[in-house]
Amino acid sequence: MKIAVCLKQVPDMESKFKIVDGKKIDESQIAFKINDFDNYAVEAALQLKEKLGGEVVIVTCGPDRASKDIRQAFAMGADWGIHVNDPAVESGDNFVVASVLQKAIETIGGVDLVLTGVQAEDDQAAVTGVMLADLMGLPHCTNVKKLEINGNNLTVNRELEGGFNEVIEMSAPAVLSIQSGINEPRYPTLPGIMKAKKKRLDVKKGADLGVSPKSKTDFIKMFFPVSEHKAEIIQGDPATAAAKLIEKLKTEAKVI
Amino acid sequence: MAKILAIAEHKNGKLTDGTLELCKAAKAIASALGAEPAAAVLGKDDSVAKEVAKYIPLVFSVTNAALEKYTSDGYVQGVKAVVESQDVKGVLISHSYDGVDYAAKVAMAINAGIVSNCNKARIDGGAVIFTRNTYNGKIQEEKKVNTDKFVATFEKGAYDMEPAGSPGTVTAVSASIGAIRTTVKGIIETMAGAVDISQAKIIVSGGRGCKDADKYKEFIVSLAKKLGGEYGASRPVVDSGWTDAARQVGQSGKTVNPDLYIAVGISGAIQHVAGMKGAKCIVAINKDPEAPIFNIATYGIVGDLFEVIPAMLASL
Repeated sequence: MKIAVCLKQVPDMESKFKIVDGKKIDESQIAFKINDFDNYAVEAALQLKEKLGGEVVIVTCGPDRASKDIRQAFAMGADWGIHVNDPAVESGDNFVVASVLQKAIETIGGVDLVLTGVQAEDDQAAVTGVMLADLMGLPHCTNVKKLEINGNNLTVNRELEGGFNEVIEMSAPAVLSIQSGINEPRYPTLPGIMKAKKKRLDVKKGADLGVSPKSKTDFIKMFFPVSEHKAEIIQGDPATAAAKLIEKLKTEAKVI
Repeated sequence: MAKILAIAEHKNGKLTDGTLELCKAAKAIASALGAEPAAAVLGKDDSVAKEVAKYIPLVFSVTNAALEKYTSDGYVQGVKAVVESQDVKGVLISHSYDGVDYAAKVAMAINAGIVSNCNKARIDGGAVIFTRNTYNGKIQEEKKVNTDKFVATFEKGAYDMEPAGSPGTVTAVSASIGAIRTTVKGIIETMAGAVDISQAKIIVSGGRGCKDADKYKEFIVSLAKKLGGEYGASRPVVDSGWTDAARQVGQSGKTVNPDLYIAVGISGAIQHVAGMKGAKCIVAINKDPEAPIFNIATYGIVGDLFEVIPAMLASL
């Protein structure tokens, strides 16, 4: 089974963010990592490969820094990858990225399954995977919490609100967006890290793939949210703050 | 007149709260644009469409046996039929599990740009400018489409629910529903038979900040027990297997309304907040002063939970 996994590199969300000119975040103090949901997608792909054979190909759109996390997926066990490193793609919207991913996956040939994370932690859009399925002309399922394959038949659980799952059947090839918690992503081993350095990573521009899509949305500005309500922050060292909090819960809020 | 079309979401004949929020959004956006608010309801018959007509004056009903259950292929074809037969400028969809599954495909089908996961919309020079959360809720951005039509998905709670009014009209729209490539086999409950924390008066919930299963137990479970309440968790804790799925609070887990909710090491992503914002008193304990949880909490302590919780236990 040939599986393509779409992987995005994102900032660590616990970083201290600074906005430059209302247009972008200042990356100088930010640590980057694999988008958490994509990590589950990589693990799901590796488990299928271990069971059914085949190969796992990582496909990423991102700048130079993204190669570090493609190699991280290689160290987990992915076989090779395609890195679309193109400023024109980088500045595009989800439609541009989906269009480029489609062309990149097309060059792999014979892909049975495309896995993505449910969303990127940075733009929180949850639309690229569905657009990719549409562009590839394939059926899809989002928020996948369980995945079973029998020949070409896929049985997947789609997460719903309130602790429910919908059980769906469909045929491969298909695009699945993987939800966190579906598995326990492995950590790379030392031999895995050594091997990762030598694995094939094709670097491409949009033009190499014969695609120059135009964004259908325009970014206007970014800003820190202004909350109308802010918590009453209780000051002091841990012991003082804790004692004051307990007192307030007893006498002011009257909830304990 | 151009229409702003809210797509109804319903399960077992019942409308979701998000649908009523979309009716409110459609009215607000249509009124600012000089357009007409409308809704589309897809189903096996028009019973739900008649219900939606209590909330919005104009309802388009697409009925087909193939639309009895939600599928992305069925919904995209149904919505496309309404958009193509009516003068639709914008399509509004809930950013729910179903909405996320098909909204981007609707955008592709009608050649529109999509702005997803929005919490606000304003009009500027005849264009709709959407506000949305990014970076785990730490940063917001504004976006608009550059296409003739737009698709937008709205997060839960972005608008108030539209109250019922005098019934509007229901107009049938015919649509031939072609191939549906996914088959729904059934719905299963993943928390059946487990503890029900939704009735607890006091809940102490732990998040990623608890570091591991042992510390979650040592700090979160202990504080919950000392307060005579239940312990809960945010999604990463359940994903990591530190506690049962039945204790997960949020969109994909339980909705709780306790007197006291203590969120420990939880950043406050919208999916979590959706499940606990109804608590009477919310306490946030987090080392990151910019964590969005402090925007909805009553009281906050910025500090290390491994120091603050023992101090709370000592004060009780």
